[in-house]
Amino acid sequence: MTGGSDDIIQLEKVWTTYEGADLPVIKDVTLGIKPGEFVVIGGPNGAGKTTLLETIAGLLPVVDGTVQVCGHDVMKDGCAARKKIGYVIQNFDFHPYTPFTVEEVVLMGRFGKIGWLKRHSSRDMDKVTSAIHQLGLTLMQKNQIGKLSGGQQQKVLIAQNLAKEPEVLLLDEPFSNLDMITREEVSRLLCQIADAGIPVLIVSHAFDALPDRDIRVVVMQHGEIILNQLSHPSEVGNLVRTASVAA
Amino acid sequence: MLEFLIPNNVMCHAVEAMLFASLGCALLSVLITQMNISSIGFTMSHAAFAGGSVGAFFGYAVLPSAVIVSILTAFLMGPLSDRTRMHTDTTLGVLFGTMMAVAIFFIALMQGTGKGFDASSLLYGNVISLYREEIYALAVMSALIIIFLVIFYKEITAIVFHKRLAEIAGIRVKPVYYGILFLISVMVALSIPIVGGLLLYVWLVTPAAIAYQFCNTMRNMFIMAPVIAVIVSVAGAIWGIMYSLPVGPLTAVIFSGLFIGAVAVSPKRKVVFHNH
Repeated sequence: MTGGSDDIIQLEKVWTTYEGADLPVIKDVTLGIKPGEFVVIGGPNGAGKTTLLETIAGLLPVVDGTVQVCGHDVMKDGCAARKKIGYVIQNFDFHPYTPFTVEEVVLMGRFGKIGWLKRHSSRDMDKVTSAIHQLGLTLMQKNQIGKLSGGQQQKVLIAQNLAKEPEVLLLDEPFSNLDMITREEVSRLLCQIADAGIPVLIVSHAFDALPDRDIRVVVMQHGEIILNQLSHPSEVGNLVRTASVAA
Repeated sequence: MLEFLIPNNVMCHAVEAMLFASLGCALLSVLITQMNISSIGFTMSHAAFAGGSVGAFFGYAVLPSAVIVSILTAFLMGPLSDRTRMHTDTTLGVLFGTMMAVAIFFIALMQGTGKGFDASSLLYGNVISLYREEIYALAVMSALIIIFLVIFYKEITAIVFHKRLAEIAGIRVKPVYYGILFLISVMVALSIPIVGGLLLYVWLVTPAAIAYQFCNTMRNMFIMAPVIAVIVSVAGAIWGIMYSLPVGPLTAVIFSGLFIGAVAVSPKRKVVFHNH
Protein backbone atom coordinates (compact mmCIF):
# COMPACT_ATOMS: atom_id res chain seq x y z
CA MET A 1 0.00 0.00 0.00
CA THR A 2 2.90 2.38 0.71
CA GLY A 3 6.48 2.65 -0.32
CA GLY A 4 6.49 -0.19 -2.87
CA SER A 5 9.32 -0.17 -5.40
CA ASP A 6 6.84 -0.35 -8.30
CA ASP A 7 4.89 2.69 -7.10
CA ILE A 8 4.65 5.35 -9.79
CA ILE A 9 3.63 7.94 -7.18
CA GLN A 10 5.48 7.86 -3.86
CA LEU A 11 4.87 10.24 -0.98
CA GLU A 12 7.07 9.72 2.08
CA LYS A 13 6.17 11.56 5.28
CA VAL A 14 5.13 14.65 3.35
CA TRP A 15 4.32 17.96 5.00
CA THR A 16 2.98 20.74 2.82
CA THR A 17 1.98 24.26 3.70
CA TYR A 18 1.01 27.45 1.95
CA GLU A 19 3.18 30.52 2.44
CA GLY A 20 1.89 32.47 5.41
CA ALA A 21 -0.38 29.67 6.62
CA ASP A 22 -0.46 29.08 10.39
CA LEU A 23 -0.62 25.30 10.11
CA PRO A 24 0.52 22.72 7.57
CA VAL A 25 -2.20 21.67 5.15
CA ILE A 26 -0.79 18.19 4.54
CA LYS A 27 0.61 16.42 7.59
CA ASP A 28 2.96 13.47 7.52
CA VAL A 29 1.31 11.85 4.51
CA THR A 30 2.76 8.61 3.17
CA LEU A 31 1.11 7.17 0.08
CA GLY A 32 2.11 4.88 -2.75
CA ILE A 33 0.17 4.49 -5.99
CA LYS A 34 0.84 1.74 -8.50
CA PRO A 35 0.35 1.92 -12.29
CA GLY A 36 -3.26 1.26 -13.26
CA GLU A 37 -4.78 2.06 -9.88
CA PHE A 38 -8.03 4.03 -9.71
CA VAL A 39 -7.93 6.18 -6.60
CA VAL A 40 -10.78 8.21 -5.15
CA ILE A 41 -9.72 10.84 -2.62
CA GLY A 42 -12.60 11.83 -0.36
CA GLY A 43 -13.20 13.73 2.83
CA PRO A 44 -14.85 16.90 4.04
CA ASN A 45 -14.19 20.38 2.64
CA GLY A 46 -10.82 21.71 3.74
CA ALA A 47 -9.43 18.23 4.46
CA GLY A 48 -6.47 18.81 2.11
CA LYS A 49 -7.63 16.80 -0.93
CA THR A 50 -6.84 19.43 -3.56
CA THR A 51 -3.62 20.28 -1.73
CA LEU A 52 -2.63 16.62 -1.98
CA LEU A 53 -3.11 16.70 -5.77
CA GLU A 54 -1.19 19.99 -6.04
CA THR A 55 1.60 18.49 -3.94
CA ILE A 56 1.81 15.45 -6.23
CA ALA A 57 1.91 17.81 -9.23
CA GLY A 58 4.79 19.74 -7.62
CA LEU A 59 2.82 22.97 -7.51
CA LEU A 60 3.25 23.54 -3.78
CA PRO A 61 6.38 23.64 -1.62
CA VAL A 62 6.99 20.44 0.32
CA VAL A 63 8.41 21.53 3.67
CA ASP A 64 9.36 18.01 4.72
CA GLY A 65 9.39 14.54 3.19
CA THR A 66 9.72 13.53 -0.46
CA VAL A 67 7.35 13.27 -3.42
CA GLN A 68 8.42 11.12 -6.34
CA VAL A 69 6.33 10.89 -9.50
CA CYS A 70 7.46 8.75 -12.44
CA GLY A 71 10.95 8.69 -10.91
CA HIS A 72 11.19 12.48 -10.59
CA ASP A 73 11.48 14.32 -7.29
CA VAL A 74 8.79 16.96 -7.89
CA MET A 75 10.55 19.55 -5.74
CA LYS A 76 13.86 19.26 -7.59
CA ASP A 77 12.59 18.47 -11.04
CA GLY A 78 8.95 19.60 -11.05
CA CYS A 79 8.88 20.68 -14.67
CA ALA A 80 10.07 17.28 -15.95
CA ALA A 81 7.57 15.54 -13.65
CA ARG A 82 4.68 17.74 -14.84
CA LYS A 83 5.37 16.77 -18.44
CA LYS A 84 4.26 13.28 -17.36
CA ILE A 85 1.42 14.36 -15.10
CA GLY A 86 -2.06 15.21 -16.32
CA TYR A 87 -3.90 17.46 -13.88
CA VAL A 88 -7.46 18.68 -14.42
CA ILE A 89 -7.97 21.59 -12.05
CA GLN A 90 -11.20 22.33 -10.24
CA ASN A 91 -11.58 26.08 -10.53
CA PHE A 92 -11.49 27.71 -13.91
CA ASP A 93 -13.34 30.68 -15.28
CA PHE A 94 -12.72 31.58 -18.87
CA HIS A 95 -13.87 34.95 -20.18
CA PRO A 96 -16.48 34.59 -22.96
CA TYR A 97 -14.08 36.23 -25.44
CA THR A 98 -10.91 34.41 -24.38
CA PRO A 99 -9.17 34.34 -27.76
CA PHE A 100 -8.52 30.59 -27.88
CA THR A 101 -10.42 27.82 -29.59
CA VAL A 102 -11.08 24.39 -28.09
CA GLU A 103 -8.49 22.89 -30.44
CA GLU A 104 -5.83 25.44 -29.39
CA VAL A 105 -6.49 24.81 -25.69
CA VAL A 106 -6.26 21.03 -26.09
CA LEU A 107 -3.00 21.42 -28.04
CA MET A 108 -1.56 23.48 -25.16
CA GLY A 109 -1.54 20.28 -23.10
CA ARG A 110 1.29 19.01 -25.32
CA PHE A 111 3.41 22.15 -25.24
CA GLY A 112 5.59 20.92 -22.37
CA LYS A 113 6.32 17.69 -24.22
CA ILE A 114 7.03 19.47 -27.50
CA GLY A 115 9.73 21.48 -25.73
CA TRP A 116 11.42 24.80 -26.37
CA LEU A 117 11.95 26.17 -29.87
CA LYS A 118 9.89 23.45 -31.55
CA ARG A 119 6.59 23.59 -33.35
CA HIS A 120 3.86 20.99 -32.99
CA SER A 121 4.01 18.04 -35.35
CA SER A 122 1.29 16.10 -37.15
CA ARG A 123 1.54 13.50 -34.35
CA ASP A 124 0.71 16.21 -31.83
CA MET A 125 -2.32 17.20 -33.87
CA ASP A 126 -3.39 13.55 -34.16
CA LYS A 127 -3.34 13.28 -30.36
CA VAL A 128 -5.35 16.50 -30.09
CA THR A 129 -7.93 15.33 -32.60
CA SER A 130 -8.22 11.97 -30.86
CA ALA A 131 -8.68 13.55 -27.41
CA ILE A 132 -11.29 15.98 -28.76
CA HIS A 133 -13.13 13.05 -30.36
CA GLN A 134 -12.98 10.98 -27.15
CA LEU A 135 -14.65 13.77 -25.20
CA GLY A 136 -17.29 14.35 -27.89
CA LEU A 137 -16.06 17.85 -28.68
CA THR A 138 -15.46 17.42 -32.41
CA LEU A 139 -18.30 19.70 -33.49
CA MET A 140 -17.10 22.54 -31.27
CA GLN A 141 -13.32 22.23 -31.77
CA LYS A 142 -13.16 25.57 -33.62
CA ASN A 143 -15.36 27.34 -31.05
CA GLN A 144 -13.91 29.75 -28.51
CA ILE A 145 -13.58 28.03 -25.16
CA GLY A 146 -15.15 30.94 -23.26
CA LYS A 147 -18.40 30.51 -25.13
CA LEU A 148 -18.88 26.92 -23.98
CA SER A 149 -20.85 25.89 -20.92
CA GLY A 150 -19.05 25.02 -17.66
CA GLY A 151 -19.44 21.29 -18.34
CA GLN A 152 -18.13 21.60 -21.89
CA GLN A 153 -15.15 23.64 -20.64
CA GLN A 154 -14.45 20.88 -18.12
CA LYS A 155 -14.47 18.33 -20.94
CA VAL A 156 -12.00 20.52 -22.85
CA LEU A 157 -9.62 20.50 -19.87
CA ILE A 158 -9.93 16.72 -19.61
CA ALA A 159 -9.22 16.46 -23.36
CA GLN A 160 -6.20 18.74 -22.89
CA ASN A 161 -4.79 16.31 -20.35
CA LEU A 162 -5.59 13.24 -22.45
CA ALA A 163 -3.81 14.79 -25.45
CA LYS A 164 -0.78 15.17 -23.21
CA GLU A 165 -0.53 11.35 -22.95
CA PRO A 166 0.15 11.49 -19.22
CA GLU A 167 1.73 8.71 -17.20
CA VAL A 168 -0.27 9.82 -14.16
CA LEU A 169 -3.69 11.48 -14.26
CA LEU A 170 -4.99 13.70 -11.46
CA LEU A 171 -8.50 15.15 -11.58
CA ASP A 172 -10.03 17.56 -9.10
CA GLU A 173 -13.83 17.25 -9.01
CA PRO A 174 -14.02 16.05 -12.63
CA PHE A 175 -17.77 15.38 -12.45
CA SER A 176 -18.83 18.60 -10.76
CA ASN A 177 -20.06 20.42 -13.88
CA LEU A 178 -21.16 17.38 -15.87
CA ASP A 179 -24.64 16.01 -16.50
CA MET A 180 -25.41 12.37 -15.63
CA ILE A 181 -24.82 10.95 -19.12
CA THR A 182 -21.52 12.80 -19.53
CA ARG A 183 -20.45 11.70 -16.04
CA GLU A 184 -20.88 8.08 -17.08
CA GLU A 185 -19.01 8.66 -20.35
CA VAL A 186 -16.11 10.38 -18.56
CA SER A 187 -16.10 7.67 -15.90
CA ARG A 188 -15.83 4.96 -18.60
CA LEU A 189 -13.01 6.89 -20.22
CA LEU A 190 -11.12 7.21 -16.94
CA CYS A 191 -11.60 3.48 -16.37
CA GLN A 192 -10.07 2.74 -19.80
CA ILE A 193 -7.13 4.99 -18.94
CA ALA A 194 -6.55 3.17 -15.65
CA ASP A 195 -6.91 -0.19 -17.43
CA ALA A 196 -4.14 0.95 -19.78
CA GLY A 197 -1.82 1.19 -16.75
CA ILE A 198 -2.07 4.90 -16.02
CA PRO A 199 -3.01 5.59 -12.41
CA VAL A 200 -6.05 7.85 -12.09
CA LEU A 201 -6.50 9.89 -8.91
CA ILE A 202 -9.73 11.81 -8.52
CA VAL A 203 -10.90 14.13 -5.80
CA SER A 204 -14.65 13.85 -5.76
CA HIS A 205 -17.80 14.21 -3.72
CA ALA A 206 -19.82 12.45 -6.44
CA PHE A 207 -19.58 8.69 -5.97
CA ASP A 208 -22.47 7.69 -8.21
CA ALA A 209 -20.51 7.63 -11.46
CA LEU A 210 -17.52 5.55 -10.44
CA PRO A 211 -16.41 2.78 -12.82
CA ASP A 212 -17.11 -0.84 -12.04
CA ARG A 213 -13.62 -1.89 -10.95
CA ASP A 214 -11.47 -2.05 -7.83
CA ILE A 215 -11.07 1.40 -6.38
CA ARG A 216 -8.56 2.58 -3.81
CA VAL A 217 -10.33 4.87 -1.39
CA VAL A 218 -8.22 7.47 0.36
CA VAL A 219 -10.06 9.54 2.96
CA MET A 220 -8.49 12.71 4.31
CA GLN A 221 -9.30 14.70 7.42
CA HIS A 222 -7.39 17.75 8.71
CA GLY A 223 -4.55 17.14 6.24
CA GLU A 224 -4.00 13.52 7.23
CA ILE A 225 -4.93 10.26 5.55
CA ILE A 226 -7.35 8.50 7.87
CA LEU A 227 -8.32 5.66 5.51
CA ASN A 228 -6.55 3.99 2.62
CA GLN A 229 -8.07 0.74 1.37
CA LEU A 230 -9.30 -1.09 -1.71
CA SER A 231 -13.02 -1.08 -2.22
CA HIS A 232 -15.88 -1.72 -4.62
CA PRO A 233 -17.44 1.38 -6.29
CA SER A 234 -20.79 0.84 -4.55
CA GLU A 235 -19.11 1.04 -1.13
CA VAL A 236 -16.99 4.14 -1.73
CA GLY A 237 -19.62 6.66 -0.60
CA ASN A 238 -20.29 4.79 2.63
CA LEU A 239 -16.60 4.32 3.36
CA VAL A 240 -15.88 8.04 2.95
CA ARG A 241 -18.89 9.03 5.09
CA THR A 242 -18.13 6.52 7.83
CA ALA A 243 -14.44 7.38 8.01
CA SER A 244 -15.16 11.12 8.07
CA VAL A 245 -17.76 10.80 10.83
CA ALA A 246 -15.60 8.44 12.90
CA ALA A 247 -12.65 10.83 12.73
CA MET B 1 16.32 54.72 -42.59
CA LEU B 2 13.30 56.10 -44.42
CA GLU B 3 15.00 59.15 -45.95
CA PHE B 4 14.41 57.75 -49.45
CA LEU B 5 10.66 58.01 -48.76
CA ILE B 6 10.54 61.17 -46.64
CA PRO B 7 13.11 63.79 -47.64
CA ASN B 8 12.14 66.15 -44.80
CA ASN B 9 14.60 65.22 -42.06
CA VAL B 10 12.42 66.27 -39.11
CA MET B 11 9.38 64.48 -40.52
CA CYS B 12 11.46 61.41 -41.32
CA HIS B 13 12.81 61.19 -37.75
CA ALA B 14 9.34 61.60 -36.30
CA VAL B 15 7.82 58.96 -38.58
CA GLU B 16 10.60 56.48 -37.89
CA ALA B 17 10.33 56.98 -34.14
CA MET B 18 6.55 56.62 -34.14
CA LEU B 19 6.68 53.60 -36.45
CA PHE B 20 9.11 51.55 -34.37
CA ALA B 21 7.76 52.61 -30.98
CA SER B 22 4.16 51.90 -31.99
CA LEU B 23 5.09 48.55 -33.56
CA GLY B 24 6.82 47.28 -30.41
CA CYS B 25 4.27 48.73 -27.99
CA ALA B 26 1.31 47.37 -29.98
CA LEU B 27 2.73 43.83 -30.00
CA LEU B 28 3.26 44.07 -26.25
CA SER B 29 -0.22 45.58 -25.81
CA VAL B 30 -1.72 42.24 -26.89
CA LEU B 31 0.11 40.51 -24.04
CA ILE B 32 -0.62 43.29 -21.56
CA THR B 33 -4.38 43.31 -22.19
CA GLN B 34 -4.78 39.55 -22.42
CA MET B 35 -2.75 38.92 -19.26
CA ASN B 36 -4.70 41.64 -17.42
CA ILE B 37 -1.56 43.52 -16.42
CA SER B 38 -2.48 46.86 -17.96
CA SER B 39 -1.24 48.68 -14.84
CA ILE B 40 2.21 47.67 -16.01
CA GLY B 41 2.10 50.61 -18.45
CA PHE B 42 1.92 53.36 -15.88
CA THR B 43 4.13 51.48 -13.40
CA MET B 44 6.90 51.11 -15.98
CA SER B 45 6.57 54.66 -17.25
CA HIS B 46 6.86 55.97 -13.70
CA ALA B 47 9.80 53.65 -13.06
CA ALA B 48 11.48 55.21 -16.08
CA PHE B 49 10.48 58.64 -14.78
CA ALA B 50 12.02 57.84 -11.39
CA GLY B 51 15.15 56.45 -13.07
CA GLY B 52 15.51 59.59 -15.17
CA SER B 53 15.22 61.89 -12.18
CA VAL B 54 17.62 59.81 -10.05
CA GLY B 55 20.09 59.74 -12.97
CA ALA B 56 19.80 63.49 -13.44
CA PHE B 57 20.33 64.09 -9.72
CA PHE B 58 23.58 62.12 -9.71
CA GLY B 59 24.72 63.64 -13.00
CA TYR B 60 24.10 60.67 -15.30
CA ALA B 61 22.33 60.66 -18.69
CA VAL B 62 18.54 60.55 -18.28
CA LEU B 63 17.60 57.86 -20.83
CA PRO B 64 20.08 55.13 -19.79
CA SER B 65 19.12 55.75 -16.15
CA ALA B 66 15.45 55.43 -17.07
CA VAL B 67 16.12 52.16 -18.94
CA ILE B 68 18.11 50.70 -16.04
CA VAL B 69 15.49 51.50 -13.39
CA SER B 70 12.71 50.17 -15.65
CA ILE B 71 14.57 46.89 -16.08
CA LEU B 72 15.24 46.64 -12.34
CA THR B 73 11.54 47.26 -11.69
CA ALA B 74 10.63 44.53 -14.18
CA PHE B 75 12.90 42.07 -12.41
CA LEU B 76 11.43 43.10 -9.07
CA MET B 77 7.84 42.84 -10.25
CA GLY B 78 7.55 39.10 -10.91
CA PRO B 79 9.22 37.79 -7.73
CA LEU B 80 7.44 40.44 -5.66
CA SER B 81 4.04 39.24 -6.96
CA ASP B 82 5.03 35.66 -6.15
CA ARG B 83 6.31 36.48 -2.67
CA THR B 84 3.40 38.70 -1.67
CA ARG B 85 0.90 36.20 -3.07
CA MET B 86 -1.06 39.09 -4.46
CA HIS B 87 -2.45 39.74 -7.89
CA THR B 88 0.21 41.25 -10.17
CA ASP B 89 -1.98 44.34 -10.57
CA THR B 90 -1.84 45.02 -6.81
CA THR B 91 1.94 44.72 -6.76
CA LEU B 92 2.09 47.06 -9.75
CA GLY B 93 -0.05 49.57 -7.87
CA VAL B 94 2.39 49.56 -4.95
CA LEU B 95 5.39 49.89 -7.26
CA PHE B 96 3.70 52.70 -9.19
CA GLY B 97 3.25 54.76 -6.02
CA THR B 98 6.81 54.04 -4.90
CA MET B 99 8.30 55.06 -8.24
CA MET B 100 6.23 58.23 -8.38
CA ALA B 101 7.41 59.12 -4.87
CA VAL B 102 11.07 58.49 -5.79
CA ALA B 103 10.73 60.68 -8.90
CA ILE B 104 9.07 63.56 -7.03
CA PHE B 105 11.58 63.25 -4.17
CA PHE B 106 14.61 63.66 -6.44
CA ILE B 107 13.01 66.41 -8.54
CA ALA B 108 12.25 68.31 -5.34
CA LEU B 109 15.84 67.77 -4.16
CA MET B 110 17.18 69.11 -7.46
CA GLN B 111 14.94 72.14 -7.26
CA GLY B 112 16.06 72.69 -3.68
CA THR B 113 19.75 72.46 -4.55
CA GLY B 114 19.34 74.60 -7.62
CA LYS B 115 20.39 71.81 -10.01
CA GLY B 116 17.20 72.18 -12.00
CA PHE B 117 15.59 69.35 -13.97
CA ASP B 118 13.10 69.64 -16.76
CA ALA B 119 10.72 66.74 -16.15
CA SER B 120 8.48 67.70 -19.05
CA SER B 121 10.56 65.68 -21.55
CA LEU B 122 9.83 62.50 -19.57
CA LEU B 123 6.22 63.41 -18.81
CA TYR B 124 5.09 64.63 -22.24
CA GLY B 125 7.87 63.53 -24.62
CA ASN B 126 8.89 65.14 -27.88
CA VAL B 127 9.00 63.06 -31.01
CA ILE B 128 11.34 65.38 -32.92
CA SER B 129 13.91 65.57 -30.14
CA LEU B 130 15.19 62.02 -30.59
CA TYR B 131 18.75 61.19 -31.59
CA ARG B 132 19.35 58.76 -34.45
CA GLU B 133 20.78 56.22 -31.96
CA GLU B 134 17.54 56.27 -30.00
CA ILE B 135 15.56 55.50 -33.15
CA TYR B 136 17.94 52.64 -33.95
CA ALA B 137 17.44 51.34 -30.40
CA LEU B 138 13.67 51.40 -30.94
CA ALA B 139 14.05 49.52 -34.24
CA VAL B 140 16.27 46.89 -32.61
CA MET B 141 13.85 46.56 -29.69
CA SER B 142 10.86 46.07 -32.00
CA ALA B 143 12.81 43.41 -33.88
CA LEU B 144 13.70 41.69 -30.59
CA ILE B 145 10.04 41.66 -29.55
CA ILE B 146 9.04 40.06 -32.87
CA ILE B 147 11.81 37.44 -32.54
CA PHE B 148 10.81 36.70 -28.93
CA LEU B 149 7.15 36.29 -29.94
CA VAL B 150 8.00 34.00 -32.84
CA ILE B 151 10.38 31.80 -30.82
CA PHE B 152 8.22 31.49 -27.71
CA TYR B 153 4.80 31.78 -29.34
CA LYS B 154 3.42 28.53 -27.98
CA GLU B 155 4.68 29.15 -24.45
CA ILE B 156 3.35 32.72 -24.54
CA THR B 157 -0.12 31.67 -25.72
CA ALA B 158 -0.30 29.03 -22.99
CA ILE B 159 0.70 31.55 -20.31
CA VAL B 160 -1.73 34.15 -21.63
CA PHE B 161 -4.51 31.55 -21.58
CA HIS B 162 -3.88 30.35 -18.01
CA LYS B 163 -0.59 30.58 -16.12
CA ARG B 164 -1.44 27.67 -13.84
CA LEU B 165 -2.43 25.38 -16.72
CA ALA B 166 0.74 26.34 -18.59
CA GLU B 167 2.77 25.34 -15.53
CA ILE B 168 0.85 22.05 -15.31
CA ALA B 169 1.58 21.39 -19.00
CA GLY B 170 5.27 21.34 -18.08
CA ILE B 171 6.14 24.79 -19.44
CA ARG B 172 8.78 26.80 -17.60
CA VAL B 173 6.50 29.76 -17.00
CA LYS B 174 8.79 32.08 -15.03
CA PRO B 175 11.56 32.62 -17.62
CA VAL B 176 9.02 33.44 -20.33
CA TYR B 177 6.93 35.65 -18.02
CA TYR B 178 9.99 37.55 -16.82
CA GLY B 179 11.12 37.84 -20.45
CA ILE B 180 7.81 39.53 -21.27
CA LEU B 181 8.22 41.94 -18.32
CA PHE B 182 11.80 42.69 -19.43
CA LEU B 183 10.73 43.53 -22.98
CA ILE B 184 7.92 45.75 -21.70
CA SER B 185 10.29 47.62 -19.37
CA VAL B 186 12.89 48.35 -22.04
CA MET B 187 10.28 49.28 -24.66
CA VAL B 188 8.56 51.64 -22.23
CA ALA B 189 11.83 53.33 -21.25
CA LEU B 190 12.83 53.78 -24.91
CA SER B 191 9.39 55.10 -25.91
CA ILE B 192 9.01 57.63 -23.11
CA PRO B 193 11.06 60.36 -24.84
CA ILE B 194 8.64 60.19 -27.79
CA VAL B 195 5.18 60.46 -26.21
CA GLY B 196 6.07 60.80 -22.54
CA GLY B 197 5.18 58.70 -19.54
CA LEU B 198 1.67 60.07 -19.27
CA LEU B 199 0.53 59.15 -22.78
CA LEU B 200 2.51 55.97 -23.27
CA TYR B 201 -0.25 54.05 -21.57
CA VAL B 202 -2.43 54.64 -24.65
CA TRP B 203 0.05 52.77 -26.84
CA LEU B 204 0.40 49.93 -24.39
CA VAL B 205 -3.31 49.21 -24.17
CA THR B 206 -5.40 50.80 -26.92
CA PRO B 207 -4.07 49.01 -30.06
CA ALA B 208 -4.92 45.61 -28.55
CA ALA B 209 -8.19 46.93 -27.16
CA ILE B 210 -9.20 48.02 -30.68
CA ALA B 211 -8.02 44.75 -32.27
CA TYR B 212 -9.88 42.77 -29.61
CA GLN B 213 -13.18 44.21 -30.84
CA PHE B 214 -12.72 42.38 -34.16
CA CYS B 215 -10.42 39.40 -33.45
CA ASN B 216 -11.26 36.02 -31.96
CA THR B 217 -7.73 34.63 -31.91
CA MET B 218 -4.41 35.77 -30.47
CA ARG B 219 -2.74 35.36 -33.85
CA ASN B 220 -5.15 37.84 -35.46
CA MET B 221 -4.68 40.27 -32.57
CA PHE B 222 -0.91 40.11 -33.03
CA ILE B 223 -1.42 41.11 -36.67
CA MET B 224 -4.19 43.69 -36.32
CA ALA B 225 -2.93 45.60 -33.26
CA PRO B 226 0.46 46.61 -34.73
CA VAL B 227 -1.07 47.41 -38.13
CA ILE B 228 -3.56 49.80 -36.47
CA ALA B 229 -0.89 51.27 -34.18
CA VAL B 230 1.60 51.91 -36.98
CA ILE B 231 -1.02 53.54 -39.25
CA VAL B 232 -2.39 55.77 -36.47
CA SER B 233 1.04 56.71 -35.10
CA VAL B 234 2.60 57.50 -38.47
CA ALA B 235 -0.50 59.49 -39.48
CA GLY B 236 -0.34 61.30 -36.12
CA ALA B 237 3.32 62.17 -36.68
CA ILE B 238 2.73 63.44 -40.22
CA TRP B 239 -0.37 65.49 -39.35
CA GLY B 240 1.17 66.79 -36.13
CA ILE B 241 4.27 68.12 -37.88
CA MET B 242 2.36 69.36 -40.94
CA TYR B 243 -0.12 71.37 -38.86
CA SER B 244 2.22 72.15 -35.91
CA LEU B 245 0.19 70.11 -33.44
CA PRO B 246 1.61 68.14 -30.47
CA VAL B 247 2.23 64.68 -31.97
CA GLY B 248 1.84 62.54 -28.83
CA PRO B 249 -1.51 63.92 -27.66
CA LEU B 250 -2.83 64.04 -31.24
CA THR B 251 -1.98 60.35 -31.75
CA ALA B 252 -3.53 59.46 -28.37
CA VAL B 253 -6.76 61.26 -29.32
CA ILE B 254 -6.92 59.43 -32.67
CA PHE B 255 -6.41 56.11 -30.86
CA SER B 256 -9.21 56.92 -28.42
CA GLY B 257 -11.59 57.96 -31.22
CA LEU B 258 -10.80 54.77 -33.09
CA PHE B 259 -11.41 52.71 -29.96
CA ILE B 260 -14.85 54.28 -29.44
CA GLY B 261 -15.68 53.61 -33.10
CA ALA B 262 -14.44 50.02 -32.83
CA VAL B 263 -16.58 49.38 -29.77
CA ALA B 264 -19.60 50.84 -31.56
CA VAL B 265 -19.29 48.57 -34.60
CA SER B 266 -17.73 45.53 -32.92
CA PRO B 267 -19.31 42.22 -33.97
CA LYS B 268 -18.79 41.04 -30.39
CA ARG B 269 -21.70 43.22 -29.30
CA LYS B 270 -24.02 41.88 -31.96
CA VAL B 271 -27.02 40.05 -30.51
CA VAL B 272 -28.47 37.34 -32.73
CA PHE B 273 -32.12 36.62 -32.09
CA HIS B 274 -34.03 33.95 -33.93
CA ASN B 275 -37.79 34.08 -33.56
CA HIS B 276 -39.15 30.67 -34.52
